[in-house]
Amino acid sequence: MQININNLSFAYGAKTIISNLSLTLNSGDYLVIRGKNGSGKSTFIKCLLGFNLVKSGMIFYDKVDITDFKSWTRFGYVSQNFDDFNYEFPITVGELLQISSLKRTKESERLKFLEKMGIFEIINQNINSLSGGQLQRVFIVRAMLNNPEVLVLDEPTASIDKQNKEFFYSTIEDLHQMGITIILITHNDDIEQLNYTHLLSMYGDLTTSFEERGVELKEGVL
Amino acid sequence: MILSFITDLFQQDFMLRALIAGIMLGILAPLLGTFVVVRRLSFIADTLGHFSLVGISVSLFLSSLGVTMFFDKPLYLGIIFSIIGGLLIELFRRSYNNFQEISMVIVISLGAALSAIFFSLSKKTGSLYNYLFGSILTVTNYYIILILITGFIVAILFILFGKQILAVSFDESSAKFLGINVNLFQIVFIIMLSVVVSVLLESAGVLLISSMMVIPVAAGIKLGWSYKSTLIISIVFSELSVFFGLWLAYTLNIPSGAAIVSINIIILLLVAVTKKIVLKKRISKMDKLQ
Repeated sequence: MQININNLSFAYGAKTIISNLSLTLNSGDYLVIRGKNGSGKSTFIKCLLGFNLVKSGMIFYDKVDITDFKSWTRFGYVSQNFDDFNYEFPITVGELLQISSLKRTKESERLKFLEKMGIFEIINQNINSLSGGQLQRVFIVRAMLNNPEVLVLDEPTASIDKQNKEFFYSTIEDLHQMGITIILITHNDDIEQLNYTHLLSMYGDLTTSFEERGVELKEGVL
Repeated sequence: MILSFITDLFQQDFMLRALIAGIMLGILAPLLGTFVVVRRLSFIADTLGHFSLVGISVSLFLSSLGVTMFFDKPLYLGIIFSIIGGLLIELFRRSYNNFQEISMVIVISLGAALSAIFFSLSKKTGSLYNYLFGSILTVTNYYIILILITGFIVAILFILFGKQILAVSFDESSAKFLGINVNLFQIVFIIMLSVVVSVLLESAGVLLISSMMVIPVAAGIKLGWSYKSTLIISIVFSELSVFFGLWLAYTLNIPSGAAIVSINIIILLLVAVTKKIVLKKRISKMDKLQ
């Protein structure tokens, strides 16, 4: 899927968060978005995923304006700290994955991925008894169940230990190698470990820079 | 004493009706209650009940004026108003996204105010007590048919769309990436809930319906290890409350709704205390082993 962002601006009331941001991503690209807290990273993701409503003409998916876009199953999304999920109510990993797989996917591929992510050992466990790392694996699996073309992850390594972080980075790298477009929000300290193709830096003062690995494309847009 | 109650259950028509209504109440209330609790909207049944009461009071007011309509039973207008209340909650919930409980306070206040006005105008405030506290021992054959049809429709909806409704309940924002029409299933759920609440109103009462939906689930959460087990435990607790509540109401001649809710609370307390004791014992056993 080609993602085209054209002079995106967004404000919460009178407070402008994003101003004139433009970038293009092609199928299989790996975009890392970095910036401090409050720099607009999550706001940008929410615009991309249609949670924040933007004006027409600003975001296009395969040339379809986001205001007309309906094929959201082409996206997989892992939210920050799984905020929107009520994981205090008892539900097992198996039950969660069952209610999340509405689209029929290739069973063998699915089982392979579940095995690789270590899901079979915890399939009957209650979600609220899992560690941060296990929870993250479950939510990545859930996001991947319907074979999305684009996987969006909002600060996925914020609450996991070093070992799980490494496993996470290798998983994302594998998915990238499989041709899935990755959009990942992260803190600055993680950046060297990532094999990204594009980097968007948000500086918190409405300025941004967007670069293809090694080559600067755009800077200081206001 | 309990044996003569069981004999009466099957020998007296009104007791048999109460038993059937009770069994349906015992299933429907916690079944929808789990969804309500997952969504963190525990007060929604209370709110819908109050709005349903508006329909009932308007119906009584119109009949006091001699207006005859195709809905001669107050419950029909109660169902329609409950659905309107549900849609209003949904509307306000979207405009106060971060303060979802505000939507319920607005609708519950409007419901209470309007029903007080229309009950007063209808000059039938005497019947208000029954609607507020419900009376499972006085339900008619007609009501039994209505509650069975409601149960059947709910079962069909869950068989067809249970997965989608559950997915939206657990995580509204991610559901659209699973190919679910979130708005459609929110509306389906809210209409289903509105209808069930207003149908259960006659047996459970406006003030107690919320408790019957939420308290068995609150106890179920303490013991459940999965969604399915939590649901089954909640329904078992709910049915036990209905059975022993009916027995208490019949034996002591006290309001049935109040008796059922009291048993619900006793079960919740027993579960909470037992769980705490078991956990404490387990921890001290582990400490000893170390």
